[in-house]
Parts: sequence; structure tokens; C-alpha cells
Amino acid sequence: MNNGVANTHGDSEHPSTRRPNANDFGRAVSRVAVAQICEGVGFESFRSSALDSLADIAARYLCDIGKASASYANLAGRTECNVFDIIRALEDVGNFQGFMGASEVSDCIASSGMMRETIEYVEISEEIPFVHPLPWFPVNRERRLIPSFCQMDETPPGDHIPSWLPALPDPHTYKQTPMWSERKSEQRADKLEQARQRRKVEKSLLNLQQRLAICGPAGGATSSFAPDDSVRGIQSVEGNPFLDPPLQAGEKDTPTFNMSDMVNGPGKDNDASVFKTFVPAIEAVRDQFSDDADGDINDKSKVLPFKRSAIHFKFKTSKKVLGQSLDLDLRNTCIEKPISGRVLGDERDEKKRRAEYILQQSMENPQELTQL
Amino acid sequence: MNYQHPQPQPPQQSGEGKHDDDAAVTEFLASLLEYTPTIPDELVEHYLGKSGFQCPDVRLIRLVAVATQKFVAEVASDALQHCKARQASIVKDKGNKQQKVSALYCSLLTSII
Repeated sequence: MNNGVANTHGDSEHPSTRRPNANDFGRAVSRVAVAQICEGVGFESFRSSALDSLADIAARYLCDIGKASASYANLAGRTECNVFDIIRALEDVGNFQGFMGASEVSDCIASSGMMRETIEYVEISEEIPFVHPLPWFPVNRERRLIPSFCQMDETPPGDHIPSWLPALPDPHTYKQTPMWSERKSEQRADKLEQARQRRKVEKSLLNLQQRLAICGPAGGATSSFAPDDSVRGIQSVEGNPFLDPPLQAGEKDTPTFNMSDMVNGPGKDNDASVFKTFVPAIEAVRDQFSDDADGDINDKSKVLPFKRSAIHFKFKTSKKVLGQSLDLDLRNTCIEKPISGRVLGDERDEKKRRAEYILQQSMENPQELTQL
Repeated sequence: MNYQHPQPQPPQQSGEGKHDDDAAVTEFLASLLEYTPTIPDELVEHYLGKSGFQCPDVRLIRLVAVATQKFVAEVASDALQHCKARQASIVKDKGNKQQKVSALYCSLLTSII
């Protein structure tokens, strides 16, 4: 009983290795039903092969009855079968033992021996209902039909095609159609945008640098980008900038970047000086709000908002910076108003971080600084 | 004239017989609704549908199911009789019907069909 499967062992079948057939369910159900009948008759146990054979025989019996009764109905000019069709079919298929009155040809079918025997059987035998509840089978899958022309709102090409027919497939499925590459232009646009943003960055950095250069070539941690008066005022107040400790250490709890680099002096490249120039800007802002000196505040208030508005930390060199530019704008707007100390503190930390990040970005693209 | 006498009688009898038989059949069909055959209706409808039998009436489906059940039961009872006959002839310690069935089956099938 090999089904062509290599894994069969001996004579026993391995239904698990076979793919389930459409008939298998019916066969399995008939096996169970036949087993129940045999149990009712008196059998205690079965061989599986014997049970399979009997189940197959029962199924074939059913099919034969169906065929015969259908042919009798068709003979009478009907499509649906009658009880008489069934009785005739039963007589035809025949109990292998025969039935009473088979030799008599009577007009009345209802009096046939077959029916009588069947009736007797029903009366005599006890009712053995089927064990398992069965779903209706075979289960029909819903087929997705191709939508018609009118469903697709398309006009069929040609008058000879009615609109209720399924629509024709799209031309790109069966022949090569030209494709216009949209991506190229997008890349170009992106590149242009990037270049524009880089130029903006460079411009702002350059402005900053120029102003810091105006402040004084001495540089130092405490120099601000304010005009000379206020810068000198600050310096006079704080003394030697190289010896004084950095403002952040005294005022702030957590310096976010290394002040020693800045105090050591502009011994590094242009980038380091740019880095340094950012810090005094931030400190100057802090000084503005921490000090309550009138004159200084006035000067600074005059100076700083003007300066602040010029500096736009909108670095859009890469997409990751885009999201951060909003924060910077917010910070810029906040700076112009007097705010409580705690909020300021957070802002200063953030500003420091932002400045650090921006400087890192600018250091990563040193060549762009020169392209101005 | 001799012929004429018995002639009217059979039709009357058969007419009455018809009515009786019809009544019996209709009663039977009605009783089928209560009786649940072992072979489930879904299975019967599946195989009948395969062979082109079309009928919306449940009673006819049950009739076919009962007929098939009767057929299987008869085959099984015959096999059992053969088995017991064999057991009676061959005395064994184990009263095992299982071993006998399959062997009986092939012989039974060849004798039946």
C-alpha cells in the first residue's frame, strides 16, 4: 500500500507524511461511523485495514445509490430525486443477499420488499447516533473574483467587450512600460537643501567669529561677544581671566564640557577658538540674569538682545539637527525675557549641550567653514 | 366470463395495498425524522452530491443513510457469524476476535461481492 512516500515502515501507513486529500475527511468520518455500527453489531475490536476496507465499501455503496437514483430521476425527466427513485435505486444496487419480492414486478414501489426490510430494520435496531458533531463539508472557500469593468470604473477597450466582464490586467503586468525615475530629482533637491543649510550655518558661525574677534584677540573664558565697553567692564570686575576660576565652576553645579581646554588658551586650531567663543556667549547670558547690577544690565540688555537675535542656531546640515532647531528657537525667544532662576538653570545646561553639539558638528565639517 | 371475475378483485386489493403501503412508507419517513442513523447526514450528503444526487428533503437523506447502515450491519453480522463459527471450531486460550477479523474479512468479501 505504498503511496510513493519513502517513509513507510513495513505494511503500516503513515498518514501524517501524506498531504491531506480532499477525500480524507469523508473517509475518516465514514471509518468512525462504520466502526460504531460494527460495535453495535457485536464486534469488540478491529483491524485498521479491515475497517478501512469496510468504510470504503460503505462510501461506494452511498455513491452507487446516488448515481442510480439520479439516473432514475433523469429518466423520468426530473432533476430532483424522489422517494421512489431511491427505492428503485436500492433495489438496483441490491442487497447482496437479495430481498423479498425481488422477482415480482409490481407497480407499487412502496410495497417492495426492500422498503419493508428497511422498515423492519429501523424498528428492530437500536439507535446509535454518530459520536462527533460534524461541520458541514466540503467547506467552500470564498473565491476572490476579478472585478469587472464596471466595478473598476473602467471602460472596456472596444465595443465588443461588455462591461460586466472581468477587467483586463494592467499593462505593466504583462509588458514593459517606461518608468520615470522620480528619485533622482529628490536627491538633487535634498542636496540643494543641504548645501543651503550648510551655507547658513557657516554664515552664522562666521558672524559669531567676527564679533568675537572684535571683542578682543586676547580671548579667554570670560570674554563675551558684547561690545568693548561691557566686555571691559566684565573683565575689570573679574580680574585676570587666566587665573580666575571659570564662572561655571562657581555658579553651576554640573559643567557639561571641559573648561580646562578653554583656559589653556587658544593653542589649537581655528576650531578650538570657535569652541571657546561659544562659551563666553553663554556665560554672558548667564551673567545678564544672575547679576543684578543696574548699569551692566542696562548695557547688556541693550547689547544682548541685539546680539541674540543675530545668532540663529539653526543648523540643518543633517536631518538629525532638524529636530533640534526648534528647541534652539525656543531658547532664543526665552532668553530675551527675564525668567526664574530654576528654569534658567535648565536652559543653561541645555544651551551648553547645544553649543557643544553645534561645535562638534562644525568641527566635523571643517571644509565647509572655509567655504564662505 | 371466468376471467372477468377475478379481474376486478386484484385491482381492488392492490388499491388497498397501495394505500397501506403508502401509509406505511409515509409513516416510516416521518419516523425517520426521530431516528438518527449512525451515518451522519453530512457524510451522506457529501457522497450523494459527488454522484449527482440532488434532494433537499432530509427524510430521503435519512432513508439512504438507514439503508447504508443496514447494509453495513448485515455485512458485519455475517462477518461476526463467520468469526464465531471459526472460534468454535478452533479452540484457543485467547478469545481474541481481533486476529480473526481481517482474515475473515478478505474471505468474506470474496464470498459476498
